[in-house]
Amino acid sequence: MDRNAIQETIYESCLLLDDKNFNGFLDLCDDGFRYSVTAHSPEIRKDMTWLDHDKKGMQTLFTQLPRHNSDHSPITRHATVYKMRIDESKNEANVVSAVQIYKTDLDGGATTLFAVGKYVDTIKLNGSKPKLAKRVVKLDTRMLGIGYHIPF
Amino acid sequence: MSKNAAQWHEPPKFPTSHYVDSRIYTDHALFEEERQKIFNKTWYIACHESEIPNQYDYRTFQHPGGTPLIIVRGEDMKVRTFYNICPHRGNTLLYDPSGSAKRITCIFHAWSFDAQGNCTDISREEQGYQKRFCKADASLREVKTEVGYGGFVWVNVDDNCEPLAKFVGQAMSELEPYINMPLEVFHYHRAIVDTNFKLWHDTNSEFYHDYMHYFNRVTGMMQPGYFDRKCVGYDNGHVLVGSMEIKYDAYAGSKERGIGWPGLAQGGWILIDLFPGLTYNLRTSVLRMDTMIPLGPTKVMIEYRGLGLKSDTPEQRAQRIYDHNTIWGPFGRNLHEDLLGVHGQGMAMRKGTDSRWVIQGREENSTIHDEVGMRHYYAEWSKRMGRKSFDPYNERRVSAAA
Repeated sequence: MDRNAIQETIYESCLLLDDKNFNGFLDLCDDGFRYSVTAHSPEIRKDMTWLDHDKKGMQTLFTQLPRHNSDHSPITRHATVYKMRIDESKNEANVVSAVQIYKTDLDGGATTLFAVGKYVDTIKLNGSKPKLAKRVVKLDTRMLGIGYHIPF
Repeated sequence: MSKNAAQWHEPPKFPTSHYVDSRIYTDHALFEEERQKIFNKTWYIACHESEIPNQYDYRTFQHPGGTPLIIVRGEDMKVRTFYNICPHRGNTLLYDPSGSAKRITCIFHAWSFDAQGNCTDISREEQGYQKRFCKADASLREVKTEVGYGGFVWVNVDDNCEPLAKFVGQAMSELEPYINMPLEVFHYHRAIVDTNFKLWHDTNSEFYHDYMHYFNRVTGMMQPGYFDRKCVGYDNGHVLVGSMEIKYDAYAGSKERGIGWPGLAQGGWILIDLFPGLTYNLRTSVLRMDTMIPLGPTKVMIEYRGLGLKSDTPEQRAQRIYDHNTIWGPFGRNLHEDLLGVHGQGMAMRKGTDSRWVIQGREENSTIHDEVGMRHYYAEWSKRMGRKSFDPYNERRVSAAA
């Protein structure tokens, strides 16, 4: 599998989520897709899971969000692939990317850094194009102010 | 018909107990007074016992009165609290939010202290101080500490304070039977919001704002029993919001919470607001604890904890975590909405906006949309501050005299 195609899958996932093209994002995902957001709390000395859904759960989440009141300030994901390991026996790639999330105020357009962390992705390579099988968003940032409804 | 300036400034047509002057949410002098008269006089939750399970485990805590604290479990397993301030040159003693320290050693000049607050070492003591000053003169400042009401660690910086049980009174009587087993914190995060701390407590006190929450509308407000939930005020400004059966499966993608909580009715929900800024929120399968740390008149840090049973199996714990984060995590449906609401209040009430009054006038026989909880809170606030929340600067008396 072309390593560029794997990288482009990750970058494409950022662009689609930035555009709130949730169906497009889910099209990048394998049927067995699992998404989670995790963080470690030094305060309680525990790993935490802040969001955890399968593909159907993500679909439901995206359907429900417009019914809620949310901060409508758009966010921009900036990912850089740091490490890629292709396991040919499993036909999958394990990719670690650094990710920064910026938030731009609707009123005035000021942009601030919202969060930093890593995407730890498992990507299936057994089809015509790479598919996201698992994404763990490992956040370093734990202070998210008033929070946010859309997954990073 | 809209209002002109004079009409906008007229007090609302309610009894004075049913509204407050919104300047109590922005005034810096009032905030400093609140620190002294309220936060430095009342019991406050600093952490949970499960965060310091072993000898010498510690947690740091930013007390809402302003003083940084250390909570440490001694070798006798007793939990004690000290100022996180070195008595020598005023440096911070412990920098990390948690850890284990048999000896608390100041990085600045290496003075050391044990977990009972005794100074155990002063570097080159005799050479510098001869007989004029010794370790016995250099103990840490201890703060009153009790563990209770679900295993939380409570502190009070006032040496002459009343006992915790007297401060809490009967306010926890409905919840206590459900939290008298060992609990464990599984979630912790903070939010810093540009708003006044009382506005967050208001949000936790009134459920009329369920109109903001799609999740609560479909699982609660549209279900039988919702409008029967009663608000009950207790001594010292505490308020209980009674239970109902939440229909979790009314929200698409959600389902009834199978694991529940020992003894609590299926779908049950009990919420208790403790003056001046704590909220116990037992919702079906998870206990949430909010601790407000005001950082200024228009800035608050809120600590959010999620707790399950210490006896949880991994599967039960995973379900509680999922239930918690669906509505209450940083990406949860409800918490973001609540924070968006108080953030908006903070924007609209900041100094210079000509915000004037906040109305708490709903009367519905003390049921869920009655704003009696907030009125109860501000009666206590007024008593402790020696000011009227509807007229904090006594301007009406001055005006009448003139």
